[in-house]
Amino acid sequence: MLINTGIATQELIKKLIPSPERRARGPYAMVECFQEIPCNPCSTSCPFGAILPMKDINDIPTIDLDRCTGCGICAGVCPGLAIFIIDESKGDGTATVTIPYEFRPLPEKGETVRAVNRQGNIIGDGVVTRILASKKTKTPLITVQIPAELVYEVRFLNLIDDKSNSEEPSSTYQSVVTDDLSSKVLDTVEIDDTAGTENDEDEIIICRCEGLTLGVIRDLIREGYTTVDEIKRISRAGMGPCQARTCGPLIASEIARMTGQPIAEIQPSAHRPPVKPLPIEFFLGGDSE
Amino acid sequence: MMYEIDLAVIGGGPAGLMAANTAAEAGAKVLLLERDGHLGGQLVKQTHKFFGSEEQHASMRGNDISTMLGDRLGSFGERVTVWKSATVIGFYEDGVITIDHNGIYKKVKPMRVVVATGASEKFLSFPNNDLPGIYGAGAVQTMMNVYGIRPGQRVLMIGAGNIGLIVSYQLLQAGVSVAAIVEGLPHIGGYAVHASKVRRAGVPILTSHTIVRADGAESVESATIAEIDRGWNVIQRTMKTIACDVICISVGLTPLAELLWQAGCKMRYIPSLGGSVPLRNDCLETTVKGVFIAGDVSGIEEASAAMVEGRLAGLEAAASLGFKSERYCEERNDCMEQLAALRSGPTAEKIRSGLACAECR
Repeated sequence: MLINTGIATQELIKKLIPSPERRARGPYAMVECFQEIPCNPCSTSCPFGAILPMKDINDIPTIDLDRCTGCGICAGVCPGLAIFIIDESKGDGTATVTIPYEFRPLPEKGETVRAVNRQGNIIGDGVVTRILASKKTKTPLITVQIPAELVYEVRFLNLIDDKSNSEEPSSTYQSVVTDDLSSKVLDTVEIDDTAGTENDEDEIIICRCEGLTLGVIRDLIREGYTTVDEIKRISRAGMGPCQARTCGPLIASEIARMTGQPIAEIQPSAHRPPVKPLPIEFFLGGDSE
Repeated sequence: MMYEIDLAVIGGGPAGLMAANTAAEAGAKVLLLERDGHLGGQLVKQTHKFFGSEEQHASMRGNDISTMLGDRLGSFGERVTVWKSATVIGFYEDGVITIDHNGIYKKVKPMRVVVATGASEKFLSFPNNDLPGIYGAGAVQTMMNVYGIRPGQRVLMIGAGNIGLIVSYQLLQAGVSVAAIVEGLPHIGGYAVHASKVRRAGVPILTSHTIVRADGAESVESATIAEIDRGWNVIQRTMKTIACDVICISVGLTPLAELLWQAGCKMRYIPSLGGSVPLRNDCLETTVKGVFIAGDVSGIEEASAAMVEGRLAGLEAAASLGFKSERYCEERNDCMEQLAALRSGPTAEKIRSGLACAECR
C-alpha cells in the first residue's frame, strides 16, 4: 500500500487514466495525489478551472480533463511534486512525460537520460525534449520522450554520466568527510545476531553533557530515585549546556519503563531561569545602555 | 535598566514573525526577540514548497516566506524593534523577562507576551548513539541548507515523518546518498507525496524497523537495524547492518516550553502534541493572563498552522491592549476558519484530539 511503501499501487494509477479518445487528443495532467492532506495550490492555480475548486482544503484533487490543456502550471506549483503531464497524442509509439525535477545539474535538451519508475528502478531510456525552468516556482519541469508503453510508469529520471559526482554541483556544498566511503563495502550485510544485550544498553550515553550512561540511570532508579529531579540532584543529569532537552525525556521514559508509571505522570525537572548555563559575571555586567 | 513595551514576541520563526507583524499592524509597539543571528527560525532551511493554501503562502518555499515576513516587519518602522542573538533566559512571575542579548544582560517588562519558542528534537537511546556522525535532522538541514556543508556521504535516516522524508529528499538534492529510511511504525508517518518523491529517487523506506546500534571506530561506519513487532520488540534474526557515515535522527519534536513553566502556566502532558503543552483558551492565551502562545510550543504541527496561530496570537494580544482595528472580528474569524480547515483532514486527527485536551476556559 502507498502508506507503507510510498509507491502508488496500480489500482490507484488506473483510476487516473483517461479515455482512449482523451489520450489521443493531447496533453493532460495526471494528479497522483491520493491522500487527504491540507493543500490546494493545484486547484487555485489552474487558469482553466480544470482542477475543480475544493470544498474542503483536504479534498483530493479532481480534474476535468475536458478543460485540462496539459499546460503544466499545476505541476510546477504542486508542493508534493505529484503532478505529471502526459502526452500520448503523437501516435508514433512514443509519448512524453513531464516530470518536476529539483536536482542539479539539469539535463540538457536532446540529452538521453535514464527513465526511472515509481520504485526507483531504471526501466528504459528517454530523450529530453523540453526544459521549463520557472523562476517563480523554482521547480524545473523536464519533458522526456519515452516509449509509449512506459508512460504510466516513468516518473523520475537519472542522468547518464552522473555529473553530480564527477564535479561539485556548483560550489554550494562542501563535504565534511575527507575519506572516501565509496572504497568501503557499502552493501547491506545480513547478520543473524540476536537482540542487543542489557550490558550493551548499559553503556549507552544518556546525558551527554555530564557523561552519564543508561546503566548509571538504571542503578539510581533501582536505588529509589524515581523522579527526574531526584536523578538530576544526585547525578547532575541535565545540568549541562543542553539543560535536559536531550536527556530529560529519555530519563523520564526509563523511569516509566522501570517503575510502570504512565509517562504522563512523570514530572519533568523543575524549570528555573536561566535556560542555559551562564557565567556569574554575565549577570553582574547588566545593561549599561 | 528596565525596558517597557506593549508586546514582546519570543521567537522569530513562522509563528513569532506572524505575531509580530499582526500586532504591529494593529498598532502595538512590538519587541521581537530571536535567539539566532537571523530571523526565520526553521523557515530559513526549509527549501521545499509549503503545503496549505494561498493564505499560508502554499507553494512558496520556507526560506522565501522567511524573507518576505522579515521584510514586512521592516515596514513598521520604529513600532517594531528586533533583537537578534537575543536568548530569553528567564520569565519571572512578575512578568519580567530577562535576556542574553549578544552577551549583555537585559530586562524587559512587556504588557503582553507571545511565546513562540518552537520545539526541540527528540533523541533516541541506542548503543553508541554518541558516535560522531549521529545528528538530529534539524542539524543536518542547518548544515546543508544554511551553511552549505554536506554532513557525510551516505546517510541512514531514522523516522519517516514529514521531517525525515523532507530532509532525505534535501540530502539527495545536496548530492548525498540516502541508504534507507527506517520507520518504527507499520506505516509512513509523513505525507504520501513526500514518501513517493524519495522512493522514486531510489531510497527504500523500511516500516516496522528500528535502529539497534551504531558502530564505528572513530565515527559512524555502520548501523544495525532490525524489524520490530507491534510492541516495538526486535524480531529475532531480522538484523541487518547498513554501511553509512551519518545516522540522522528524526523521531519527532517536543515543545520548547521551559519559559511557560517558569511563567507559571498550567501545563499538561499530551503525547499527540509532542509533550507538555500549556493550556490555552480560544484566543491562544495561557492560564497566565497576558501570556499568549503560537506555533510548535503550543503543540507540534506544520508551519502553515504555526503562521496562522502566530497571526491569531498577535491579533489577540494587541486587541487586549486596545489595539483593535475595524477588521478585528473579520481577521479573527479568518484565522479560526483557516486553522479549522488545516486541522480538519484525516492526517490531523492526532492534532485535533490533542488540542481538545489542551483547552481551558
